[in-house]
Amino acid sequence: MTSQKIKLGARWSALTSRYSIYLIMIGMVVVSSILSPVFLSETNFSNISRQISITTILAFGQTLLIICGMIDLAQGSVMALAGLLAVIFFKATGFLVPSLFLGVGVGVVCNLVSGVIVTRFNTPPFIATLAMQTSARGAALLLTSGQNVYQLKNFVVWGQGVILGIPTPVVFLISVTILTWYLLNHSRLGRYIYAIGGNQEAARASGIEINKVKLMAFGVNGALVGLAGVLYMSRVNAGLPNAGVGFEFDAMTSAIIGGTSFSGGIGTAIGTLAGAFIMGFLSNIMNLLGIQSYLQQVIKGAIIVMAVASDIASKSKRTKTILGNVEEKISKEKI
Amino acid sequence: MHIASQNKEKQRSELSYGRKFDQSGRELRTMKSRMKTLLVAAAVIVTAGIVTESAGYAQGASRYRIAYIARAQGDSFAAWLANAIQAEAKKYPDVSVTVFDGQSRSDLIESHIENAVQNKFDLIIIQPFDPTIEINPVKRAMAKGMKVIATNPKFSDDSVPSVDASPYQQGAENAKLALTQIPQNARVVVLLGPAGNPHSMGRRDAWQKEFFAKRPDVKILDEQIANWNKDEGMRLTEDWIQSHGKIDAVISMNDNMAAGAIEAIKGSGATTYPLIYGVDGTPEACLLIKDGKMASTTLQNANDLAEKSMKLAHDMLTGQATNLHEFIQAELITKDNVDKYIELHKQLGNIK
Repeated sequence: MTSQKIKLGARWSALTSRYSIYLIMIGMVVVSSILSPVFLSETNFSNISRQISITTILAFGQTLLIICGMIDLAQGSVMALAGLLAVIFFKATGFLVPSLFLGVGVGVVCNLVSGVIVTRFNTPPFIATLAMQTSARGAALLLTSGQNVYQLKNFVVWGQGVILGIPTPVVFLISVTILTWYLLNHSRLGRYIYAIGGNQEAARASGIEINKVKLMAFGVNGALVGLAGVLYMSRVNAGLPNAGVGFEFDAMTSAIIGGTSFSGGIGTAIGTLAGAFIMGFLSNIMNLLGIQSYLQQVIKGAIIVMAVASDIASKSKRTKTILGNVEEKISKEKI
Repeated sequence: MHIASQNKEKQRSELSYGRKFDQSGRELRTMKSRMKTLLVAAAVIVTAGIVTESAGYAQGASRYRIAYIARAQGDSFAAWLANAIQAEAKKYPDVSVTVFDGQSRSDLIESHIENAVQNKFDLIIIQPFDPTIEINPVKRAMAKGMKVIATNPKFSDDSVPSVDASPYQQGAENAKLALTQIPQNARVVVLLGPAGNPHSMGRRDAWQKEFFAKRPDVKILDEQIANWNKDEGMRLTEDWIQSHGKIDAVISMNDNMAAGAIEAIKGSGATTYPLIYGVDGTPEACLLIKDGKMASTTLQNANDLAEKSMKLAHDMLTGQATNLHEFIQAELITKDNVDKYIELHKQLGNIK
C-alpha cells in the first residue's frame, strides 16, 4: 500500500521533472497568446521559427560539445568566416549548392583545428576556441577589409526561400534537429559523447578512443556552424564580416535552458530545441507588446534564471523522493 | 573485445620506461616537443610579420610620423576612414602614417596613445571609441607635448583639435525631406543604435526637433534598439509587421538597420514599401535608393574626413594651422542624385 503510493508519487514527479521545461514552454505559449492576439498566427510562428533557426542550429553544436565536457567560444566568428567565404565563392562562380558545401567545409576545418589543439596539445577547449574566435574574426575582416559584401542575388534562397510552404531555414532546422536527436540517442558516437562527459577516465578505461570522439564532436559542431553561417548571410542578404558576435552565448543559453548540464554527460536534442523556442517566444512577445529595449534585457535575464532554477528544483525534488538527497546520482540517472 | 591489443599495449608500456609508441611501434613524440614545435612556428610567423612591417616602415622614413588610431577596423565605416587616411597621406611626401587598431576597446586605445608618445611620433590622429573615457589619456599625451587631432567623433573638450561630421545635421537632412514625404496621420517605427551612442542620440534628437515636434499627427508605433545591426533591424520589423499591420515609414539611425527592415518587408510579401530613412550612405543603401526601396540617407563621407584631417595634421606640424575645428557637410542622398554616390562607391571598390 505505502510502497505503491511512493511509486505513484515518484512516477508523477519523474514525469513533471522530465518534462518541466516543456511545461514552461507551453505555459509561455498560453500566456503570450492571451497577451497578444497575433501571437498564435501562422505568420508569426513562421517568423519565430525563421528567427531562431540559426542560433538553434548553433545550439545543437554547443549541446554536443557541452555534453562531452567541452565548449566552443568561436561559433559566432567561425560562422561569419564560413558564411563570408560561401558568399564570396558564390559571387565569383555562381555555383549555389557548392557554395553551401564550401561554407560547411570551412566550419569543419576551423573546428578540426580547434579539436586538434584540444586533443593533441591538451589545451582546455575554452582557450583553444577563444583563440579560434579571435583568428577567425580576424580572417573574416582581413578577407573583406572590414567592408560588407552586397548583391548576393540567388544566394538568398538558403535563408529566404520556401520549400513546400516551409521557409528554407526551418527545413534545415528540422533536419538538424532529427540528425542531432539520432546522433545522441541512436549512434555509437552519441553514446561515447555521453560517456566521456559523464566520466572521462571511466570512458577511457572502457576502451573509448577519447581524442577521436572529441575530434568528431568538434567536426559535427563545425558542420553546423558552417551551415548556420550560410543561412545567416543569406537571410540578411549580405556578407557581414561582423556577423554573429556573441551568438555562441545565445546558443549556450538555449542549450542550458533545455537542460544541458555544464558538468557534462547530460543534455538532449529536444530539450535544446525547447530551450531555443523559449528564448524565441520571449523576445518575440516582448517585441509584439512593444516593451522598451532596456527592460527587455532585464526581463530576459530574469526569465532565464527562473526557467533554469525551476527545472533544477523539480529535478532535485524528484531525486529526494526516490533516492534521498544524493546530488551526485542525478547525473548518473540521466545517462 | 580489445583484450589482445590491450595486453600488447600493456606490455609495451611496461617495456617503454615512460616513452610512448603508436600502434605500429614508432615512438610518439612527446607532448613537450610538440608544444615546442608549435611555439617555434608561432614565433617565426610573428617575427616575420614584425620584420615585414618594420621594413615598410623604414622605407617611409619621412620627416613627420603620424600615428592614426582607428576606433575599430572591424567596423565598416572606421575601416573606410582608415583606408582613406592612408590614401590621403600619400599626397604628403614629408608625412608617413602608421595605423593602429583600437578594436572597440578604450583600454587598448589608451595603450596605443601611450605607445605613440613613447615611440616619439610627431602627431596622433585618433578616432575615439568612447570620447568620455579616452579624453584622459589624450590630455596626458598633450601635456607631454604631443599634438593630437580627434576625428569622427570629436571630444566635447575643445582644447583637442578636431575634424568631425555633425550627427544632428545627418539626421536633420533626412527629417526635413521626410516633412514633405510622410503622409498625414502616418504610423511610423524608429530603429536606434546602441544605448548611449552619441551619434545615434544626435540623429534621434534631430528627428525629434526637425520632424516629430512639427508633425504631432504622426504616431510612433514603437521605438527599439537594434545596435546598428542588419539582422536585429530585420527581426524587429518582422515582429512589428505582425503586431501593427501597416507601417507608413521606418526611421532608422543607420543604413544597416534600415536595410534589415527592407528584408523583413520583402519577406512579408508586401507589394509596396513604406518610406525608409537611414544615415551613412553605405553602398547597400545607395543601391536600395536606386531601386526605389529606400527614401533617403545622408553620407558621412570618409574621404572628406580624411582629407580635412590630413590637411589639419600637416598644417599643425608645419605651424600653419589657423582653424582647429573643422566640420564636413552631410550630403543628402535621394533617388535624384544617387548615381553620383554609386559611382563613388565603385571607385572605392565597394560596388563591383
